[in-house]
Amino acid sequence: MRDLIVLSGSSNPQLTARICKQLGVPKGEVISTKFANGETSVTVVDSVREKDVYIVQSGCGHTNDNFFELLIMISACKTASAKRVTAVLPLFPYSRQPDLPYNKNGYSVNGKREFDSSPGTPIPNSTASESTDYLTSSVVKDTSNDMRKSTLINQPVPTPTASSSSSLLNNNNTDDSPTYKEWIAQSGTLVANLLTTAGADHIITMDLHDPQFQGFFDIPVDNLYSKPLLQHYIANNIPDFQNAVVVSPDSGGAKRAIAVADQLGMSFALIHKERRYRKLINPTTLDQSLLISSTITPSNSNKVIATTMLVGDVAGKVCVLIDDLVDTSYTITRAASLLKDQGATYVYALVTHGVFSGDAINRINDSAIDKIITTTSTPQDGHAKQLGTKLEVLDVSRILAEAIRRINNGESVSMLFEHGW
Amino acid sequence: MTVTKKKNSIKLLCGNSHPDLGEQIARRLGIEVSNVKAYQYSNMETAVSIGESLRDEDVYILQSGCGETAINDFLMELLIMIHACKSASARRITAVIPSFPYARQDRKDKSRAPITAKLIANLLTTAGCNHVITMDLHASQIQGFFNIPVDNLYAEPSVLRYIRERIIDWKEAIIVSPDAGGAKRAAALADELDLNFALIHKERARANEVSRMVLVGDVTDKVCILVDDIADTCSTLVKAADTLLNSGARRVVSIVTHGILSDSAIERINSGISLDSLACTNSMPQVSNRRQSSKIDVIDISGTLAEAIRRLHNGESVSYLFKNAPL
Repeated sequence: MRDLIVLSGSSNPQLTARICKQLGVPKGEVISTKFANGETSVTVVDSVREKDVYIVQSGCGHTNDNFFELLIMISACKTASAKRVTAVLPLFPYSRQPDLPYNKNGYSVNGKREFDSSPGTPIPNSTASESTDYLTSSVVKDTSNDMRKSTLINQPVPTPTASSSSSLLNNNNTDDSPTYKEWIAQSGTLVANLLTTAGADHIITMDLHDPQFQGFFDIPVDNLYSKPLLQHYIANNIPDFQNAVVVSPDSGGAKRAIAVADQLGMSFALIHKERRYRKLINPTTLDQSLLISSTITPSNSNKVIATTMLVGDVAGKVCVLIDDLVDTSYTITRAASLLKDQGATYVYALVTHGVFSGDAINRINDSAIDKIITTTSTPQDGHAKQLGTKLEVLDVSRILAEAIRRINNGESVSMLFEHGW
Repeated sequence: MTVTKKKNSIKLLCGNSHPDLGEQIARRLGIEVSNVKAYQYSNMETAVSIGESLRDEDVYILQSGCGETAINDFLMELLIMIHACKSASARRITAVIPSFPYARQDRKDKSRAPITAKLIANLLTTAGCNHVITMDLHASQIQGFFNIPVDNLYAEPSVLRYIRERIIDWKEAIIVSPDAGGAKRAAALADELDLNFALIHKERARANEVSRMVLVGDVTDKVCILVDDIADTCSTLVKAADTLLNSGARRVVSIVTHGILSDSAIERINSGISLDSLACTNSMPQVSNRRQSSKIDVIDISGTLAEAIRRLHNGESVSYLFKNAPL
């Protein structure tokens, strides 16, 4: 192919190799190392002058290292007179940034919550007391919280109080003291701008968590879908799939799951989770058929009730959970056990991006999920070893390769959306 | 409980790279470090939580370019914090980067090599940074990579004080630059102290590897003060000290601004007999380095940074700090 060169970041070299094989081009040579002080060093060995450059880098592994490697590679190609630089990010980094869990009145409910998996904080040569301070102070890693809300920065209204800063530092928010609502910075726009600043002319990605993310860029973004691939798997590998139920593990992913269900003529169910004050909700008044499980989560002085509800009927059915991303796997494993409780006979989980961070692998091994299917958007070799036959991996290199070929040739990419490759 | 809030005050935010320095600066400014924290999720993505209002405030974000495994994490923290402050309607955002990351990748020294320092400058500007305070940039031309004001502070006044106060026989000393690139810095120091100046010329085979050293100048029976801006693997410094001792120097001490001390630098300093001591500023955390080596001494530059922040906030000239070090 004319003027085409595909370079690989260090996050997912196997995927790049497969893409190159599909395209019938040799992989462009890049030497990426680290200096003694930890700085990333990139040398592009092959000439890129007046070439159409594609750099494949997934947002996995050591995310920030890989992201900076990508930025430096883009910048290196740009300063080396590349004609066009396209960043191929099968899993887009920072595409999903959770908000802090808030209760109804806007108070942070994170104070005494337990960590689902403790977030490691990079602390250099500092003392241990400092590091524990960082760890205990705030963020909870919890995929079960509503992470669908990550459009633009949620701008809180500052309420000046005398003790706002100190009380927040100690996480001692009481019910009555109005205080500044702690919020988590949303990095979507930033990441988009950083890529553009580095010199990216075009972005190819897959199954963006938020479709709105495309709007953060001022350059073209081709968001590919793994849906055709997933549908193909369902139709060919799930026996009697017409009688199976497609289930979305949370309300945010409902649209994605419904699209698959519609296409294949399958029925659909939804798992919904809500967190409310005890005084606002009285479990006995709820329709008992809807209320599946309710747990009381102690948090600060408030009692928050997390209610998991299943909307739809799965008794005696095969269930197909569909989601875009599995990270700590809390959402998907809880959903699976809920489905089994409700009489589901077999639970498939189809996820595009299998990140499996923390102890997700163990959790999935112990869970009610009978089969988990993910794609090669992130490296799966290590996961496959630990999950054995429970894991099945679909290859997305053909979709990406075809998109690259079409973009390089100036052809339309849209047929890939529906028909896959 | 209502307290009228003083608007547009200094807000000091601190990344995870160097919390000690943040505390020191905050203490000098008589403020508290703001409740903005950076974390890492289990998927290694960085998250920043904002716990207090930054609306219309003059925000300073301290983050040093250090950490052998986390340098990119700290950089991302800084960018996200800048962006977060911008979206929180801060009036002005100043990045305080005592040790500028990627400063040595400042030129296209071979085909298709990235000019990463320029990229970092662009990224900082893109994130929403309005002003940068840094110290002893490896090449002061890096200031030109920015389209925003950059205050490049000097550790020199603090270093001068250190020499006068801590090196007893400094009047019999000679300032030595371990390479040609640092000659200007060393010569300025020698002028200020009214001392002689010598230079070691080295021929490099590859980066971080020194092949041969040639001394220019007479160091016989002198106390040699090796001066440089960055001490990374320290192989240059140790070899330079050997060369000086072989050329008849009485003893050799060294002073650097940024003590990265990566790889097995500490080991190299401890095992080398020619180098008596290594003083570096606290532009990077030195606590654990000091624990590992009694030869390492620390020059405090938190006063310079704090005073720069105060002057910048009040719209006063910063150039006073180029010649004077606050106590």
